[in-house]
Amino acid sequence: MLISRRVLLAAALSLGALQAQAAVAPQALVAPITDYKLYVLDNLEQFTEHTRAFTEAVKAGDLARAQALYAPSRVYYERIEPIAELFADLDASIDAREDDYEHGVQDPTFTGFHRLEYGLFHERSTDGMDVYAERLMSDVNDLEQRVQGLTFPPEAVVGGAAALMEEVAATKVSGEEDRYSHTDLWDFQGNLDGSKKIFELVKPLVEQDDPAFVARIESNFAALDDTLANYHLSQGDASKGFQTYDKVSERDRRALVGPVTVLAEELSTLRGMLGLD
Amino acid sequence: MSKHDTSSQGCPFAGLDRRRFLQGLGAAGAGIAAAGLSGGALASQPARAAEVADAPTSATTGQAYPWHGAHQQGITTPRPAVGMLVAFDVLARDRAGLEQLLRILSERIDFLTRGGSYEQRDPRYPPVDSGILGPTIDPDGLTITLSVGASLFDERFGLAEVKPRHLERMTAFPNDALDAARCHGDISLQFCANSEGTTIHALRDIIKNTPGLLMVRWKQEGSVPVMAPRPDGQTESARNFLGFRDGTANPPADDRTLMQQLVWVGRNNAEPAWAHNGSYQAVRLIRNFVERWDRTPLQEQEAIFGRRRDSGSPMHGGVEHDLPQYAGDPDGSVTPLDSHIRLANPRTHGSERNLILRRPFNYSNGVEANGQLDMGLLFIAYQADLQAGFITVQQRLDGEPLEEYIKPVGGGYFFTLPGVQAGDFLGGGMLAAADAIREA
Repeated sequence: MLISRRVLLAAALSLGALQAQAAVAPQALVAPITDYKLYVLDNLEQFTEHTRAFTEAVKAGDLARAQALYAPSRVYYERIEPIAELFADLDASIDAREDDYEHGVQDPTFTGFHRLEYGLFHERSTDGMDVYAERLMSDVNDLEQRVQGLTFPPEAVVGGAAALMEEVAATKVSGEEDRYSHTDLWDFQGNLDGSKKIFELVKPLVEQDDPAFVARIESNFAALDDTLANYHLSQGDASKGFQTYDKVSERDRRALVGPVTVLAEELSTLRGMLGLD
Repeated sequence: MSKHDTSSQGCPFAGLDRRRFLQGLGAAGAGIAAAGLSGGALASQPARAAEVADAPTSATTGQAYPWHGAHQQGITTPRPAVGMLVAFDVLARDRAGLEQLLRILSERIDFLTRGGSYEQRDPRYPPVDSGILGPTIDPDGLTITLSVGASLFDERFGLAEVKPRHLERMTAFPNDALDAARCHGDISLQFCANSEGTTIHALRDIIKNTPGLLMVRWKQEGSVPVMAPRPDGQTESARNFLGFRDGTANPPADDRTLMQQLVWVGRNNAEPAWAHNGSYQAVRLIRNFVERWDRTPLQEQEAIFGRRRDSGSPMHGGVEHDLPQYAGDPDGSVTPLDSHIRLANPRTHGSERNLILRRPFNYSNGVEANGQLDMGLLFIAYQADLQAGFITVQQRLDGEPLEEYIKPVGGGYFFTLPGVQAGDFLGGGMLAAADAIREA
């Protein structure tokens, strides 16, 4: 099924979207962008499934289950955020934080994961949360539909590698993303994996010209994985999740900031290296 | 509306021939009209009237201080209008990373304080520079002074053996309410320049060039009020946010012998040889309760400081730089014994070795939850001996009446590295000294 999807996508991707004065031939980007769209659609599929289980737990009033499913559901979204953010309205209703609203958590337009996080982890209750659960589910369905019909702009895909590291630098390192659940490291790993995926897909296009660049990126990705591994709930298995962010030592917080900043800086040149406008 | 008004909309000189009026006023008047720092440019370039959003002009953007020398700049260099102290955590993990950082900092400071043009890059890449001063930058009197905190000498970089003798982590004095988020740091950078754009540009340049090596821990910006030059050529100390002159009792920075004794670490200080020509930097963020101060009778304010507010003179009158006479005032009936200046500098035999070189700026940060202004003093002082200098002076001040109006909330102790010669980098001597001990 994946193969047929890939063929279809490759055919559908118009070269017009790649008309950049490229340092690499525009055709060279077709395969990576196609692969990336598959990656995004796979993650969206999983995201929808997990969100369904999560929102059903909320609606069923099963607090413990809802709490347990919160972080694992978000990971898929965090991986594909550069694409999700192309739909600003949905990004806001799915993933906005209370800081985005003047009246904070009391703001009637504040919805999505972080509104539910406040209820589940701060108020420790599912009371009144079903309306937010319903809305989240319908927003996520909407997102999946919209992404399926989307032609991926190469500059958004390639720029996404750096954008994900900017996300980490801005809100994950400080522990303010998931301030009630303290599940920031799940999101951190999600952003990191999403960034790595993009880089891996375009790596063959830059490897020959600048092997040192590739080495710097890979060693910093590895440094982040190593530090995050200190906080796996199940040693060596990120998929089982992470300890809460308040457990992260001051030393490790600093050990995370360095590579994140280097990656944000280095990956910000990726579009230029590929000649994307 | 008359024809004339139309051509001078929004101008305070509406109805006049604007150009002739400004020429008549001379440079000072033009400066006011252009909201400039020094003016002059407007009158000589009559082609286009000044617009609202025109950049204010300054005649001192070309001012530059030499980068090479025995000492770093920014200590005995005259204090300009704008200052900023930024404390960083070093993210480099080993000695090699630290050396890389020190070399990059040296190279950036050299460039930024000299000025010049940035490399123009393919526009598909992020630009090399923030661009906030345009493609070519002027030095604008910029100095950047690098100092190191006690934490840099922990196990990470192998420097424990070469730590300056008095360098320690700042501990709270009785009146302090230290905010952990605004204290200490592995290194500090003091930026001083004629305008804020220059210090901010320099900070952003340094952050851009040190990813993975440095992380900002806290920062405090400040300024001092700019004054018109006096007709008699005399200078006066700038005022703090309590309205009093600050730094009157500073030892004269052009007295090299005195600076050698009081500010620069030398042979007499029993410090590691690499530290010679360095200095201890004491930084304190001292909040001022200005609303309450402004509701305090003037005579009480003056008794608290021990000076006349408006002139800055001693309590017995005269002018700012007249020396306070304590010999005939043993009971403090003229200058109270617990006044700020008398406690800080009692002018007794031996107290001259406690003199420090103050280089403070006023800061204004915003509003507290109670609606009161969050402002105060970014206190920076240099001395050859931190213990004999700031720490002793502050201990004498503990419990002073001024404490009712001030609250130290942050800061730290740092050691300002010696200057650099051509081909060297800041901290090179420190690393070499540590290497030599390791190899021995």
